[in-house]
Amino acid sequence: MASAPSKLYADDVSLLVVLLDTNPFFWSSFSLPFSKFLSHVLSFLNSILLLNQFNQVVVIATGCNSCDYIYDSSSATNTDAESGRMPALCSDLLRKLDEFVTRDQHLGEKDSLGPPTSSLLSGSLSMALCYIQKVFRSGPLHPQPRILCLQGSTDGPEQYVAIMNAIFSAQRSMVPIDSCFMGSNNSAFLQQASYITGGVYQKPQQLDGLFQYLSTVFATDLHSRTFLRLPKSVGVDFRASCFCHKRTIDMGYICSVCLSIFCKHHKKCSTCGSVFGQPQSDVPSASNVK
Amino acid sequence: MPQVKIIAKNFMDMVSSLPAMKLDKLYENAFICEAILRSLPPLAKKYVLQTLYIDVPITAKSMEEWVLPDGSSKHRVAIDRLIQLRIFTETVDRRRETTYRIHPTFQTNLQKLVTLGEVLPREPMSSDITVRLPSLEDLEVYALAQWECFLLQLINSAQAERPLNISPSMMKVFQRGLLSQREKEAPRLTESGFQFLLMDTNAQLWYIIREYISNSEERGVDPADLISFLLELSFHVTGKAYNSNTLTEIQRSLIKDLTDLGLVKLQQGRKESWFIPTKLATNLSVSLTDSSARKQGFVVVETNFRLYAYSSSKLHSEVLRLFSRIEYQLPNLIVGAITKESLYNAFENGIAAEQIITFLQQNAHPRVAERIPSVPENVTDQIRLWESDLNRVEMSPAHYYDEFPSRDVFEAACDYAREWNGLLWEDSKSMRIVVKAEIHSHMREHLRRQK
Repeated sequence: MASAPSKLYADDVSLLVVLLDTNPFFWSSFSLPFSKFLSHVLSFLNSILLLNQFNQVVVIATGCNSCDYIYDSSSATNTDAESGRMPALCSDLLRKLDEFVTRDQHLGEKDSLGPPTSSLLSGSLSMALCYIQKVFRSGPLHPQPRILCLQGSTDGPEQYVAIMNAIFSAQRSMVPIDSCFMGSNNSAFLQQASYITGGVYQKPQQLDGLFQYLSTVFATDLHSRTFLRLPKSVGVDFRASCFCHKRTIDMGYICSVCLSIFCKHHKKCSTCGSVFGQPQSDVPSASNVK
Repeated sequence: MPQVKIIAKNFMDMVSSLPAMKLDKLYENAFICEAILRSLPPLAKKYVLQTLYIDVPITAKSMEEWVLPDGSSKHRVAIDRLIQLRIFTETVDRRRETTYRIHPTFQTNLQKLVTLGEVLPREPMSSDITVRLPSLEDLEVYALAQWECFLLQLINSAQAERPLNISPSMMKVFQRGLLSQREKEAPRLTESGFQFLLMDTNAQLWYIIREYISNSEERGVDPADLISFLLELSFHVTGKAYNSNTLTEIQRSLIKDLTDLGLVKLQQGRKESWFIPTKLATNLSVSLTDSSARKQGFVVVETNFRLYAYSSSKLHSEVLRLFSRIEYQLPNLIVGAITKESLYNAFENGIAAEQIITFLQQNAHPRVAERIPSVPENVTDQIRLWESDLNRVEMSPAHYYDEFPSRDVFEAACDYAREWNGLLWEDSKSMRIVVKAEIHSHMREHLRRQK
C-alpha cells in the first residue's frame, strides 16, 4: 500500500537512526578520544540534515546497562532556538547524552556482577526498529529508514539470540543496517547484520578522517546506493554463539526441531523441550554451523 | 504534472544563467548555498558532501570510479548540474586529464553549516513585544486566502473582493502570457493561463516569482538581491515574528509585494513593526526539488461522472468550472458533473485531457486517494476518448486543381504528384485533384511544361 503514494516524497528523503556506542570501558582505552569522535558524528548528523529538508535523524545511545533515545530531529526542531547561540542539535544531544551516561553508570553500580565489556547493542537495535515501525505506521508518507551502528566495543556473545532476532526483523521490514566498527577486531555481529540486511560494513582505517568515511559511505541515501560503488564486505564471520554458555563456536550441536545451537550435548533442548538421544561417539554428530 | 517540474527547474536554470560574478556573490550567503544544495539531484548532493573537505582538484576518472555502470547517466547529469551552477569548476590540464574543483566560497559556507549546524537568518523577536501573534492555523488560512485573492484578481474574476496594492502595471506583467487582451473584448484566459490554474500552489508561486524576478531589473532591483532575499526568507521559521528594522531598504519595499502574495504577514506594534513568514514562504526552497507539494486533496469523482469537491474556496470552484458543469454549491461542498459539453469547452480553451486527469488524481480526496486508481477508469478513459474525438480531422494546407485540358494532362499531373508523394485526393471522373501545399511550386512548373 505504501509504495505508490510514497513516490510523492523525493527519492532521497531518509530517516537515519544512529546507534551511538557510549561504552566507557571501550572509549577510555581507545586511541580516538570520545569528544573527537562526537564532533565527527555531530558534523555528520548536521550534514544529513543539510542535504534535505525532510531528512530525519534519531540518535540512540548504547550503554553497558541501558539504551535510550538521546536526539530526535523531528521533535527537537526549534525548541532550543531561543535559549542561546548554540545550535539546537549540539546542545540538545550533548545534554541528553550527559544525563544518559550518568544514569547508565548508576545502573552499573547497582549490579555487582563486575564491569561488562560489551554494549547493549541488541537493546538499541530493537529500539531503532520500534521507532522505524512507528514511522511506517504513521501514514503512507514516510522517509526511507536505515540504521547506522557506530560501534566500538566488542561483541557480547550473551546477546547473540536477541541481536539475530533484531537483524531478521530488520531484514523483513527492508531496513538496511550500516555498521561502522571502530574497535580493533572485526565485529561478527555487525558483519552479519550488514550482510543480511544489505547494508554496508566498514572498519575505518584512519580514525582522524572519520567524518570523511561517514560522509562518503554512510551518508549515501538508499536511492543513490543503486548507482554507487560502496565498500563490499570481504569476508563475513558467520560463526554462531551457543545458547547454553553464549560462547562463539565453530562446531556444535543443533536441535533438529527448533535449530537451537549448543556447544555440548544436552539431554533435552532448553528452547523447545525436545528430548535428544545419545550421541554416537564414533560418528561425530556435531554439524558445521552456518 | 509535468509543468510543475519544468517551472521549478527553470528557476534553478535562472540562477545558473546569472553571470559568474553575480553567482559568486550569491554564494557568499550561506542560506543560498543551502537552498541550492538541496535543489540538486541526490547524486550531486552526495558528491558535494564527499568533496567538502578535499582541497585538491579531483580527477574525473576517480569520480567515475565511484559509480556503477548502471549509474553513469545519472553521474553525468549530476556533474553537469554542478558545473552549470559553478559549484564544480572543470579544468583540463596538459595531459588531457579533467579535474574538478569545488567552489571555494560555497565550500567554506557549507563547511560552516556542517560544523556549526543550521542557524537562523534572523533572531525572532521576543514574545513580550509581539503580543498578538496569529496561531499557525490562522496564519495558513491567511496565506491561502491572500494567495487566492491574488489569483482571482489575476484572472480578472469578478469574485475578487478586496483590491490588492500590487500596482496595475505589475499585475499586467503577471498576466502577460496568461491572459489574452484583445481590444473591445473582455480579457480571456489563454491556453497557458488555464494550465497555470491547474498547477499546484507551489508551482504557481514559482511561476509568479519568476516573472517578478525577470521584471525586477526594470524596477531598479538587482535580480541577485531578490533571489537571495527570497531564498533567505524560506529559512525563517513559520509563525515567528521578525523585526522589520533588520531589513534593508530594498527588502522593505519587496516585502510589501510579498505580503500581497501571502508569503508574509505584516503586523504593526506600538513602536516597532514586524513580519511573520507563512508556510508559502518557508516552502519556497522545498519546492525547488522535484517533490511535489503534499497537500490534502478534496475531489471525489464517481463512476457516474459526478464530481464532489469538499472545498469552500471560490478559486477551486473557478478551476472546476473550467472543465465541469457545477450543479450546486453548499457551504463546504461543490457538486458538479463532467459532461461532454463541459469537456469540449475545456479542450477548446487548450486544456489537454491528461492535464484534467492529473489534476483530478493529484487532488483526490484522501478517502479515494488510497484506492488505485483514484479516479475511476471509465471516467479517465472517457475523457481521453472525448479528446481524441476532436482530433479525428487532420488539417494540412493544400492546393486544388481542376479544369484540366485533357485526360492525359490530368493523369500525368496525378502521376507527378504521386512521385513527389504529395497527392492527397483525386477525382478522375470530373478531373480534379488536391495536392499538398509544399509541392505546389513543382506542380506549377510541371503543368507549365506540359503546355
